[in-house]
Amino acid sequence: MEAVKAENVNIYYDGYIAVENLTFKLEEGETLLLLGPNGAGKTTLLRTLAGFHKEYTGKLFVFGKSPQEVKDFISYVPQSHTLNERVPLTALEVVAMGGIYKKSFIHFKIPNEILKSAEEVLEFVGLRHIMNKPFKELSGGQKQRVLLARALISNPKLLLLDEPLSALDPSARVEVANILSKIKKEKGITMIITTHDVNPLTEIGDKIMLLNKQLVAFGTPEEVLRDEIISRVYGPLSKAIKIGSKLYCIIGDVHIHRGERR
Amino acid sequence: MIPEYLLRAFLASIMISVLLGMLSPLINMKGLAFLTHATFHSLLFGAVLGMILGLLIGNLGIIIWVALVVTIFVVVTIAEIENRGFTSDTAIGIISSFVAGATVLGFGLLYKVMASRPYFALSESIVSYLTGEVFLITISDLEMLIFGGFLLFLAMLFLYRDFLYVSFDPEGVESYGGNVRAYLMVLYIIVGAIGALIVKTVGLITLQVVAVLPGAIAMMLSDDLRKIVGISLFLTLCIEILSIFLAYATNIPPSGIATILLGIIYGTLVFKK
Repeated sequence: MEAVKAENVNIYYDGYIAVENLTFKLEEGETLLLLGPNGAGKTTLLRTLAGFHKEYTGKLFVFGKSPQEVKDFISYVPQSHTLNERVPLTALEVVAMGGIYKKSFIHFKIPNEILKSAEEVLEFVGLRHIMNKPFKELSGGQKQRVLLARALISNPKLLLLDEPLSALDPSARVEVANILSKIKKEKGITMIITTHDVNPLTEIGDKIMLLNKQLVAFGTPEEVLRDEIISRVYGPLSKAIKIGSKLYCIIGDVHIHRGERR
Repeated sequence: MIPEYLLRAFLASIMISVLLGMLSPLINMKGLAFLTHATFHSLLFGAVLGMILGLLIGNLGIIIWVALVVTIFVVVTIAEIENRGFTSDTAIGIISSFVAGATVLGFGLLYKVMASRPYFALSESIVSYLTGEVFLITISDLEMLIFGGFLLFLAMLFLYRDFLYVSFDPEGVESYGGNVRAYLMVLYIIVGAIGALIVKTVGLITLQVVAVLPGAIAMMLSDDLRKIVGISLFLTLCIEILSIFLAYATNIPPSGIATILLGIIYGTLVFKK
């Protein structure tokens, strides 16, 4: 079954075109890595798929329906720096947040079954031991894993992750990439992940999309991670290297931006 | 023997402390200080409008209700502008400027109406909405404060967790099926209703400070939610009671004492840090 299907989709943001004429398909259980420079429209596409952003034309389906209709099947994991850490929540409370809103409007107390599920998903991401720690005291990698646990508690069919590796040190990146690999293997959830650093994720990526306000390339890692393709977005110094069976992408500081007005 | 008016002031202060002590951390965590100021300013406009109408129809009891309706209208309008994609600051800026202008015009009209109606209860002075008159609180004012305050306390208590989640990650709440718009609307209405309920007792100027500083001070002293709310409640209660007794002893307006004391504590903590 197709998890996501986009046909001639144009996404607008504040009157400007953010993503133009996008067409692609993603099968259920597949993982898509979404690459592109800053301002390429990655987050806007992700937020459109999550049902937050509604300014688009064309046909966009998630499990055969519009994103707004299948919100219950979708979990969106924002960049952790967008969270307001002045609010003193524990890791367990953050995770429980993902499971309480489908049932009622008032949540004076978190139901016991949600707390139990929250502990289980924290166990899945290897963080049960820190469940009572304040969220803001966790390391970057731990915060990202807590957010993944929060996304998993509602048993989603589609996980949308916005830059889960950004602002993490190399070991934390590997830590988060391992959890994403575990989610793919053990839960088989369809995932779309935006990233600037594709290297820790190439092993789980079934498809890669290179986006720069329009589709530059879409296909398997072997099809997309080629010098002549990535250099169109990241400049001539960018390289794709294969070591053994693993593909690495070396991206320089040059980003080729493509601007369009509506 | 404690004078009755002092006892009434004491009881009013306990209710005010419970409401503002609980609300203040939320205002700080959600970053609603600007909205709170705008909301409380609209209370003054509501009070001026209520007094004009009250003098015209000969019933000054409507002042509080007009202030409440105006304030709720203002917060709902701000929330609606935000929902249309404008930033919170822009929405508040637009509405605040309108409210400020309308208040000034309202004062002009009020003085004309007052000149035409020379006899009305002295307890209904528009100045009391600015500076507060805790010692002039009547039994019916106190009953309304306790009954209304209890309902608002329950609303806050039951929705506190949801307000925290909406403050932490509104998109997350939306993504997991929560109605962020509804939660924010309820929170804004609670802020407005608490203000309307206690503005005459505490005064607009003090209200703006007491609604923000106890939470800010508590968040400087602890990272634990229960402790933050506890410190905020305790601090508000202590300051309110202390200011009443100091005012009784020195004949200085209690709201002024409360504001200065909170300012001193916050300033000391900031400089110590």
